[in-house]
Amino acid sequence: MKKNLIKFEYKVPGGKLIKVFASIKNGFIEEIKITGDFFLHPEESIEILEEKLKGIKVDDETKIRNILNDFFSSKTLIGATVEDFLSALKGVLNKA
Amino acid sequence: MIEEWRLIELTTNDAYMNMAIDEAILTMIQKGKSQNTIRFYRWNPSTVSIGYFQSLIDEVNVEACKKFNVDIVRRITGGGAVYHDYNGEVTYSVIVSRENPKIPEDILNSYNVLCNGIVLGLRKLNLNPAFKPINDIIVNGKKISGNAQTRKLNAVLQHGTILIDVDVEKMFNLLKVSDEKIKDKMISSVKERVTSIKKELGREVNFSEVAEALKEGFEEALNIKLSSGKLTEEEKALAEKLKIEKYSSKEWLYKR
Repeated sequence: MKKNLIKFEYKVPGGKLIKVFASIKNGFIEEIKITGDFFLHPEESIEILEEKLKGIKVDDETKIRNILNDFFSSKTLIGATVEDFLSALKGVLNKA
Repeated sequence: MIEEWRLIELTTNDAYMNMAIDEAILTMIQKGKSQNTIRFYRWNPSTVSIGYFQSLIDEVNVEACKKFNVDIVRRITGGGAVYHDYNGEVTYSVIVSRENPKIPEDILNSYNVLCNGIVLGLRKLNLNPAFKPINDIIVNGKKISGNAQTRKLNAVLQHGTILIDVDVEKMFNLLKVSDEKIKDKMISSVKERVTSIKKELGREVNFSEVAEALKEGFEEALNIKLSSGKLTEEEKALAEKLKIEKYSSKEWLYKR
Protein backbone atom coordinates (compact mmCIF):
# COMPACT_ATOMS: atom_id res chain seq x y z
CA MET A 1 0.00 0.00 0.00
CA LYS A 2 1.27 3.44 -0.87
CA LYS A 3 2.11 5.81 1.94
CA ASN A 4 0.36 8.94 0.62
CA LEU A 5 -3.13 7.56 1.03
CA ILE A 6 -5.81 9.22 3.11
CA LYS A 7 -6.89 6.98 5.97
CA PHE A 8 -10.18 6.91 7.82
CA GLU A 9 -11.17 4.57 10.64
CA TYR A 10 -14.79 3.81 11.24
CA LYS A 11 -15.76 1.97 14.41
CA VAL A 12 -18.75 -0.29 13.91
CA PRO A 13 -21.14 -0.27 16.86
CA GLY A 14 -20.28 -3.55 18.62
CA GLY A 15 -16.57 -3.31 18.16
CA LYS A 16 -15.31 -4.11 14.68
CA LEU A 17 -13.27 -1.60 12.68
CA ILE A 18 -13.42 -0.63 9.03
CA LYS A 19 -10.30 1.21 7.90
CA VAL A 20 -10.38 2.78 4.48
CA PHE A 21 -7.35 4.02 2.58
CA ALA A 22 -7.90 6.12 -0.53
CA SER A 23 -6.18 8.42 -2.96
CA ILE A 24 -8.24 11.08 -4.69
CA LYS A 25 -7.40 12.79 -7.96
CA ASN A 26 -9.37 15.82 -9.20
CA GLY A 27 -12.32 14.86 -7.04
CA PHE A 28 -12.47 11.24 -8.20
CA ILE A 29 -11.45 8.06 -6.38
CA GLU A 30 -8.14 6.99 -7.86
CA GLU A 31 -7.30 4.13 -5.54
CA ILE A 32 -9.14 2.58 -2.60
CA LYS A 33 -8.52 -0.21 -0.07
CA ILE A 34 -11.10 -1.29 2.45
CA THR A 35 -9.47 -3.11 5.36
CA GLY A 36 -10.55 -4.24 8.82
CA ASP A 37 -11.61 -7.11 11.04
CA PHE A 38 -15.08 -7.72 9.59
CA PHE A 39 -16.12 -10.90 7.76
CA LEU A 40 -17.14 -10.90 4.11
CA HIS A 41 -17.94 -14.07 2.18
CA PRO A 42 -16.51 -14.73 -0.35
CA GLU A 43 -13.42 -12.90 0.88
CA GLU A 44 -11.75 -12.30 -2.49
CA SER A 45 -14.75 -10.29 -3.66
CA ILE A 46 -13.57 -7.24 -1.67
CA GLU A 47 -11.27 -6.50 -4.61
CA ILE A 48 -14.24 -6.39 -6.97
CA LEU A 49 -15.87 -3.79 -4.72
CA GLU A 50 -12.71 -1.72 -4.63
CA GLU A 51 -12.47 -1.90 -8.40
CA LYS A 52 -16.09 -0.73 -8.77
CA LEU A 53 -15.42 2.29 -6.56
CA LYS A 54 -12.49 3.50 -8.65
CA GLY A 55 -13.28 6.48 -10.82
CA ILE A 56 -16.35 7.47 -8.81
CA LYS A 57 -16.78 11.14 -7.92
CA VAL A 58 -16.11 11.50 -4.19
CA ASP A 59 -19.31 13.45 -3.46
CA ASP A 60 -21.64 11.20 -5.47
CA GLU A 61 -23.21 9.53 -2.45
CA THR A 62 -26.11 8.07 -4.42
CA LYS A 63 -23.73 6.31 -6.78
CA ILE A 64 -21.61 4.99 -3.93
CA ARG A 65 -24.70 3.79 -2.08
CA ASN A 66 -25.94 2.02 -5.23
CA ILE A 67 -22.59 0.33 -5.77
CA LEU A 68 -22.57 -0.91 -2.16
CA ASN A 69 -26.18 -2.14 -2.24
CA ASP A 70 -25.63 -3.89 -5.53
CA PHE A 71 -22.37 -5.48 -4.40
CA PHE A 72 -23.51 -6.69 -0.97
CA SER A 73 -26.83 -8.05 -2.23
CA SER A 74 -25.07 -11.21 -3.37
CA LYS A 75 -22.54 -11.44 -0.49
CA THR A 76 -22.61 -12.27 3.19
CA LEU A 77 -21.31 -9.50 5.41
CA ILE A 78 -20.81 -10.27 9.11
CA GLY A 79 -19.81 -7.90 11.88
CA ALA A 80 -20.72 -4.76 9.88
CA THR A 81 -23.59 -3.52 7.74
CA VAL A 82 -23.82 -1.86 4.36
CA GLU A 83 -24.57 1.39 6.22
CA ASP A 84 -21.31 0.96 8.16
CA PHE A 85 -19.41 0.59 4.89
CA LEU A 86 -21.11 3.70 3.55
CA SER A 87 -20.16 5.67 6.67
CA ALA A 88 -16.58 4.46 6.41
CA LEU A 89 -16.36 5.47 2.76
CA LYS A 90 -17.97 8.83 3.38
CA GLY A 91 -15.49 9.39 6.18
CA VAL A 92 -12.46 8.92 3.97
CA LEU A 93 -13.96 10.84 1.04
CA ASN A 94 -14.88 13.80 3.24
CA LYS A 95 -11.25 14.02 4.25
CA ALA A 96 -10.20 14.42 0.62
CA MET B 1 -23.93 -45.35 13.05
CA ILE B 2 -21.90 -42.54 14.53
CA GLU B 3 -20.02 -40.49 11.93
CA GLU B 4 -16.25 -40.78 11.99
CA TRP B 5 -14.00 -37.77 11.35
CA ARG B 6 -10.24 -37.57 11.21
CA LEU B 7 -8.30 -36.11 14.12
CA ILE B 8 -4.87 -34.62 13.47
CA GLU B 9 -3.44 -34.54 16.96
CA LEU B 10 -1.64 -31.57 18.49
CA THR B 11 1.36 -30.64 16.34
CA THR B 12 3.69 -27.65 16.28
CA ASN B 13 4.56 -25.92 13.03
CA ASP B 14 5.59 -22.52 11.86
CA ALA B 15 2.88 -20.05 10.87
CA TYR B 16 3.16 -20.56 7.13
CA MET B 17 2.86 -24.32 7.44
CA ASN B 18 -0.05 -24.10 9.86
CA MET B 19 -2.06 -21.96 7.48
CA ALA B 20 -0.96 -24.04 4.50
CA ILE B 21 -2.15 -27.26 6.15
CA ASP B 22 -5.59 -25.74 6.81
CA GLU B 23 -5.93 -24.71 3.17
CA ALA B 24 -4.57 -28.02 1.86
CA ILE B 25 -7.16 -29.97 3.83
CA LEU B 26 -9.89 -27.52 2.77
CA THR B 27 -8.93 -28.00 -0.88
CA MET B 28 -8.86 -31.79 -0.63
CA ILE B 29 -12.22 -31.93 1.13
CA GLN B 30 -13.64 -29.76 -1.63
CA LYS B 31 -12.35 -32.26 -4.14
CA GLY B 32 -13.91 -35.07 -2.16
CA LYS B 33 -10.47 -36.56 -1.51
CA SER B 34 -10.18 -36.00 2.24
CA GLN B 35 -12.22 -36.81 5.28
CA ASN B 36 -13.84 -34.20 7.54
CA THR B 37 -11.09 -33.21 9.92
CA ILE B 38 -10.36 -31.54 13.23
CA ARG B 39 -6.79 -30.58 14.01
CA PHE B 40 -5.03 -29.01 16.99
CA TYR B 41 -1.81 -27.08 16.67
CA ARG B 42 0.69 -24.68 18.18
CA TRP B 43 2.89 -22.05 16.56
CA ASN B 44 6.66 -22.05 16.72
CA PRO B 45 7.94 -19.36 16.41
CA SER B 46 5.10 -17.52 18.10
CA THR B 47 3.08 -15.63 15.49
CA VAL B 48 0.76 -12.73 14.88
CA SER B 49 -1.93 -13.80 12.42
CA ILE B 50 -4.00 -11.12 10.75
CA GLY B 51 -7.44 -11.39 9.19
CA TYR B 52 -7.84 -11.59 5.42
CA PHE B 53 -9.03 -7.97 5.15
CA GLN B 54 -6.50 -6.37 7.45
CA SER B 55 -3.61 -4.21 6.39
CA LEU B 56 -0.39 -5.76 7.70
CA ILE B 57 1.54 -2.52 8.05
CA ASP B 58 -1.41 -0.82 9.69
CA GLU B 59 -2.07 -3.57 12.25
CA VAL B 60 1.29 -5.11 13.08
CA ASN B 61 4.45 -3.64 14.55
CA VAL B 62 6.81 -5.38 12.15
CA GLU B 63 9.96 -4.16 13.90
CA ALA B 64 8.80 -5.44 17.30
CA CYS B 65 7.91 -8.80 15.76
CA LYS B 66 11.43 -9.06 14.32
CA LYS B 67 12.93 -8.14 17.67
CA PHE B 68 10.95 -10.78 19.57
CA ASN B 69 11.32 -13.39 16.80
CA VAL B 70 7.59 -13.44 16.12
CA ASP B 71 6.38 -14.42 12.64
CA ILE B 72 3.53 -12.69 10.85
CA VAL B 73 1.01 -14.47 8.65
CA ARG B 74 -2.16 -13.51 6.81
CA ARG B 75 -5.12 -15.88 7.21
CA ILE B 76 -7.66 -16.79 4.56
CA THR B 77 -10.35 -16.01 7.13
CA GLY B 78 -11.59 -12.55 8.10
CA GLY B 79 -11.58 -11.18 11.63
CA GLY B 80 -8.89 -9.51 13.66
CA ALA B 81 -5.23 -9.87 14.51
CA VAL B 82 -4.36 -12.66 16.96
CA TYR B 83 -1.14 -13.22 18.86
CA HIS B 84 -0.44 -16.97 18.96
CA ASP B 85 2.09 -17.39 21.75
CA TYR B 86 3.89 -20.74 21.60
CA ASN B 87 3.44 -21.12 25.34
CA GLY B 88 0.10 -19.39 25.66
CA GLU B 89 -2.52 -20.83 23.37
CA VAL B 90 -3.74 -23.75 21.35
CA THR B 91 -5.37 -23.41 17.94
CA TYR B 92 -7.89 -25.75 16.36
CA SER B 93 -9.34 -26.09 12.87
CA VAL B 94 -12.52 -27.82 11.81
CA ILE B 95 -12.62 -28.54 8.10
CA VAL B 96 -15.79 -30.14 6.85
CA SER B 97 -17.75 -30.73 3.68
CA ARG B 98 -20.42 -28.09 3.24
CA GLU B 99 -22.91 -30.82 2.40
CA ASN B 100 -22.60 -32.26 5.88
CA PRO B 101 -26.02 -31.76 7.54
CA LYS B 102 -24.37 -31.10 10.90
CA ILE B 103 -23.15 -27.72 9.63
CA PRO B 104 -25.90 -25.09 9.22
CA GLU B 105 -25.78 -23.21 5.93
CA ASP B 106 -26.32 -19.98 7.87
CA ILE B 107 -22.90 -18.75 8.95
CA LEU B 108 -23.97 -17.27 12.29
CA ASN B 109 -25.70 -20.52 13.25
CA SER B 110 -22.72 -22.56 12.18
CA TYR B 111 -20.44 -20.52 14.46
CA ASN B 112 -22.74 -21.48 17.29
CA VAL B 113 -22.71 -25.18 16.37
CA LEU B 114 -18.94 -25.41 15.95
CA CYS B 115 -18.09 -23.21 18.94
CA ASN B 116 -20.22 -25.53 21.04
CA GLY B 117 -17.36 -28.03 20.67
CA ILE B 118 -15.08 -25.57 22.47
CA VAL B 119 -17.74 -24.77 25.06
CA LEU B 120 -18.22 -28.45 25.93
CA GLY B 121 -14.46 -29.01 25.86
CA LEU B 122 -13.76 -26.17 28.28
CA ARG B 123 -16.50 -27.48 30.53
CA LYS B 124 -14.54 -30.71 30.85
CA LEU B 125 -11.74 -28.62 32.33
CA ASN B 126 -14.23 -27.41 34.96
CA LEU B 127 -14.69 -24.01 33.40
CA ASN B 128 -18.05 -22.37 32.85
CA PRO B 129 -17.88 -21.13 29.25
CA ALA B 130 -20.55 -19.60 27.02
CA PHE B 131 -20.77 -18.87 23.31
CA LYS B 132 -20.96 -15.14 22.64
CA PRO B 133 -22.14 -14.26 19.14
CA ILE B 134 -20.77 -13.59 16.62
CA ASN B 135 -17.67 -15.67 17.11
CA ASP B 136 -16.35 -15.56 20.67
CA ILE B 137 -16.36 -17.83 23.70
CA ILE B 138 -16.32 -16.25 27.12
CA VAL B 139 -15.65 -17.46 30.66
CA ASN B 140 -16.89 -15.29 33.53
CA GLY B 141 -17.77 -12.62 31.02
CA LYS B 142 -14.25 -12.49 29.55
CA LYS B 143 -13.08 -13.67 26.15
CA ILE B 144 -11.11 -16.92 26.16
CA SER B 145 -11.49 -17.95 22.52
CA GLY B 146 -11.89 -16.20 19.16
CA ASN B 147 -12.97 -17.98 16.01
CA ALA B 148 -13.09 -17.32 12.26
CA GLN B 149 -14.68 -19.08 9.36
CA THR B 150 -14.38 -19.23 5.60
CA ARG B 151 -16.48 -21.08 3.07
CA LYS B 152 -15.56 -22.38 -0.31
CA LEU B 153 -17.94 -23.90 -2.81
CA ASN B 154 -18.07 -27.31 -1.12
CA ALA B 155 -16.30 -26.95 2.18
CA VAL B 156 -16.17 -24.97 5.40
CA LEU B 157 -13.12 -24.10 7.48
CA GLN B 158 -13.38 -22.73 10.97
CA HIS B 159 -10.31 -22.12 13.03
CA GLY B 160 -9.85 -20.46 16.37
CA THR B 161 -7.63 -19.88 19.33
CA ILE B 162 -8.04 -20.93 22.94
CA LEU B 163 -6.00 -18.91 25.42
CA ILE B 164 -4.09 -20.95 27.96
CA ASP B 165 -1.94 -18.17 29.34
CA VAL B 166 -2.02 -14.58 28.18
CA ASP B 167 0.48 -11.73 28.17
CA VAL B 168 -1.52 -8.65 27.16
CA GLU B 169 1.50 -6.30 27.36
CA LYS B 170 3.48 -8.43 24.93
CA MET B 171 0.48 -8.64 22.63
CA PHE B 172 0.24 -4.86 22.54
CA ASN B 173 3.92 -4.48 21.78
CA LEU B 174 3.45 -6.58 18.66
CA LEU B 175 0.29 -4.91 17.43
CA LYS B 176 -0.08 -1.31 16.35
CA VAL B 177 -2.35 0.88 18.39
CA SER B 178 -4.11 3.63 16.48
CA ASP B 179 -3.49 6.12 19.25
CA GLU B 180 -0.31 5.70 21.32
CA LYS B 181 -1.62 8.11 23.94
CA ILE B 182 -4.35 5.72 24.99
CA LYS B 183 -2.21 2.58 24.77
CA ASP B 184 -2.04 2.08 28.54
CA LYS B 185 -5.76 2.54 28.82
CA MET B 186 -6.32 0.00 26.05
CA ILE B 187 -4.03 -2.50 27.73
CA SER B 188 -5.95 -2.31 30.99
CA SER B 189 -9.27 -2.49 29.18
CA VAL B 190 -8.16 -5.61 27.26
CA LYS B 191 -6.89 -7.13 30.51
CA GLU B 192 -10.38 -6.72 31.89
CA ARG B 193 -11.97 -8.28 28.83
CA VAL B 194 -9.66 -11.23 28.16
CA THR B 195 -8.90 -14.29 30.25
CA SER B 196 -7.10 -17.63 29.95
CA ILE B 197 -7.52 -21.20 31.13
CA LYS B 198 -4.62 -20.81 33.56
CA LYS B 199 -6.08 -17.67 35.05
CA GLU B 200 -9.54 -19.13 35.46
CA LEU B 201 -8.36 -22.44 36.93
CA GLY B 202 -5.59 -20.92 39.01
CA ARG B 203 -3.23 -23.72 38.03
CA GLU B 204 -0.91 -24.79 35.22
CA VAL B 205 -2.49 -26.83 32.46
CA ASN B 206 -0.63 -28.73 29.81
CA PHE B 207 -1.36 -28.55 26.15
CA SER B 208 -2.31 -32.15 25.66
CA GLU B 209 -4.81 -31.92 28.51
CA VAL B 210 -6.51 -29.00 26.76
CA ALA B 211 -6.41 -30.66 23.34
CA GLU B 212 -7.89 -33.87 24.77
CA ALA B 213 -10.73 -31.97 26.45
CA LEU B 214 -11.46 -30.08 23.23
CA LYS B 215 -11.42 -33.29 21.24
CA GLU B 216 -14.05 -34.76 23.54
CA GLY B 217 -15.99 -31.49 23.39
CA PHE B 218 -16.18 -31.61 19.61
CA GLU B 219 -17.16 -35.30 19.63
CA GLU B 220 -20.03 -34.52 21.95
CA ALA B 221 -21.15 -31.29 20.27
CA LEU B 222 -21.14 -32.75 16.76
CA ASN B 223 -22.02 -36.31 17.71
CA ILE B 224 -19.00 -37.69 15.90
CA LYS B 225 -16.12 -39.99 16.68
CA LEU B 226 -12.67 -38.56 16.12
CA SER B 227 -10.11 -41.12 14.99
CA SER B 228 -6.48 -40.22 15.02
CA GLY B 229 -5.06 -39.91 11.51
CA LYS B 230 -2.35 -38.27 9.46
CA LEU B 231 -2.22 -35.88 6.55
CA THR B 232 -2.39 -37.67 3.20
CA GLU B 233 0.59 -37.48 0.85
CA GLU B 234 -1.43 -35.22 -1.41
CA GLU B 235 -2.28 -32.86 1.47
CA LYS B 236 1.36 -32.76 2.55
CA ALA B 237 2.56 -31.93 -0.95
CA LEU B 238 -0.07 -29.21 -1.37
CA ALA B 239 0.72 -27.75 2.04
CA GLU B 240 4.44 -27.53 1.20
CA LYS B 241 3.57 -25.75 -2.02
CA LEU B 242 1.13 -23.33 -0.35
CA LYS B 243 3.62 -22.56 2.39
CA ILE B 244 6.27 -21.49 -0.09
CA GLU B 245 4.20 -20.00 -2.87
CA LYS B 246 1.45 -18.36 -0.85
CA TYR B 247 1.67 -17.93 2.91
CA SER B 248 5.33 -16.95 3.22
CA SER B 249 5.28 -14.76 0.09
CA LYS B 250 5.53 -10.99 0.37
CA GLU B 251 2.73 -10.73 -2.14
CA TRP B 252 0.25 -12.51 0.16
CA LEU B 253 1.55 -10.98 3.41
CA TYR B 254 1.36 -7.43 2.14
CA LYS B 255 -1.67 -8.04 -0.05
CA ARG B 256 -3.67 -5.44 1.86
